[in-house]
Amino acid sequence: MDLSSYLPILLLITMAVVFAVANISLTLALGPSRQGPVKGTTYESGMDPFGTARKRFNVRFYLIAMVFLVFDIEIIFLYPWAVAFPNLQAGTTESWVWLGRILFFLLTTVVAYVYGYRKGVFRFD
Amino acid sequence: MSLPSFVTAQFVISALTIVVAIHAILIGCAYLIYLERKISAYIQDRIGPNRVGFDFGLPFMPKFHFWGLGQSLADGVKFLLKEDYMPKGADPFLFTLAPVAILVPALIGFAIVPWGGIWICPDITVPILGWVIPGGPVHIAGAAVNIGLVYLLAVAAVGIYGVVLGGWASNNKYSFLGALRASSQMLSYEIPMGLSLLVVLLMTGSLLPMKIIEHQVAHGWLIVSQPLAAIIFFLCVLAECNRAPFDNAECEQELVGGYHTEYSSMRFALFFLAEYAHMVTNSAMFAVLFLGGFHLPFIGALSPHETGLFAVVAKIAVLTLKIILLISFMMLIRWSLPRLRFDQVMQSAWQGVIPLSMILLVMNAVLVQQRATSLPSLLVANLALAALVLLIQRLLPRPDMNRKVRLPGSRFHPPLHEDVRTRPTLALALEDRPVEGSSPMAGARF
Repeated sequence: MDLSSYLPILLLITMAVVFAVANISLTLALGPSRQGPVKGTTYESGMDPFGTARKRFNVRFYLIAMVFLVFDIEIIFLYPWAVAFPNLQAGTTESWVWLGRILFFLLTTVVAYVYGYRKGVFRFD
Repeated sequence: MSLPSFVTAQFVISALTIVVAIHAILIGCAYLIYLERKISAYIQDRIGPNRVGFDFGLPFMPKFHFWGLGQSLADGVKFLLKEDYMPKGADPFLFTLAPVAILVPALIGFAIVPWGGIWICPDITVPILGWVIPGGPVHIAGAAVNIGLVYLLAVAAVGIYGVVLGGWASNNKYSFLGALRASSQMLSYEIPMGLSLLVVLLMTGSLLPMKIIEHQVAHGWLIVSQPLAAIIFFLCVLAECNRAPFDNAECEQELVGGYHTEYSSMRFALFFLAEYAHMVTNSAMFAVLFLGGFHLPFIGALSPHETGLFAVVAKIAVLTLKIILLISFMMLIRWSLPRLRFDQVMQSAWQGVIPLSMILLVMNAVLVQQRATSLPSLLVANLALAALVLLIQRLLPRPDMNRKVRLPGSRFHPPLHEDVRTRPTLALALEDRPVEGSSPMAGARF
């Protein structure tokens, strides 16, 4: 497998990382630094912060992540199909079979969607 | 030393394109911030930044303000000289990693944008080493990779990490909430983005941006034949960039600054740069996918088959112009529309845009199978789907979470036979605030 066409992307990533790291280092070196007990607190609209921010959060965000996985993996599987499908012979049995297969594949996602909808995953009130 | 095998004309041109483009985008981002401040100023009937020129307070320099164009430069220097502060309780490693993790995906996304089409490169002679790199047709793009748009989707998904890390590491409740909101919003809108990309792939049958542009040159721009997919893609671009009306990640009135509340100095600037770099990359992709890339109708020099140097320069100029126009449009949207509430954003994603884009995909699959992909049939199908959606939307049960509760005795629901006055009626009060052009007693308009 020839991956040499990806080398410029490696160069690009290196440049982006160097830019970011250099800027952060420069501002660390150039900027002043004064610590203080009040200055060290987080800004929460002027109230004295209590506790930690890393507490339990709403389970809804977890559900979103789960449903996203279902849909995103489905979309990844659709990409090769979408590239090959328009290049098939029109009106042949083969193209009907390809269309039917992908409709069935989408149907499985629709089942997941309907299940999630009935469970109230997509309600945000 | 002989020529390494990976050094081809394509590699040289790609490296050159990357070095030029990354600098152009970083400087461009600084001036996009200036542009946004100017646009917001004119929308709000202000003048905006117009003081800082290029003299920087030094003596013997021309005191001309250059319409405030020095502002971006001064801001950059200011960011470097400010204190880089980390609150107590923050995770030092993740706190530093977050700005890098958000800027790098934003900056590497443009690699597949075909800036100037194909150029016939002459043989390149490297002076000292004595190499002769054989020329040939090369893509004026950051990287001519054969996965094309999949690269764009992969890079866009990585950008979420920076947001989540920034919110988590800050140990600030507002930051954490902003990060949760931003990540769930970006995840949700990635799905319709992928689905509307699939519609483009069904039309063109290729993942390569150059092939997509060639298809649009031959069959007309896809924004004309696939308006619904274009609208969905643009919505998703706004949501992915956390731009208004989808800027729930950093809604100032609720969450101070969202996931970058605790950031200062250059780290904050990196978050800011990343947002604008995201806008540049995504506008470039929108221009390539739906606006014909570097193509303009009726101009022969801009066809993909022109491979001269002049054609390449003209194509780069046209694509840059389209990107700037798209970004200006996004800025106009930001300063015109109010921000959506978080539950509205998520519900419109999961109950609106995602089902719609799936129906759109199935419709286009059937049309492609029937080879009914001429412009009129696609337009009719799109219009029919839009009409169907509008019709069904009327029939669906409406959620009652925002219904108006009658509060007897309030200004909006006064008791029966009671007149509610919302303007002063006392003669003295009217005299205090006389209205121009009318006498105070003649029912002044307030």
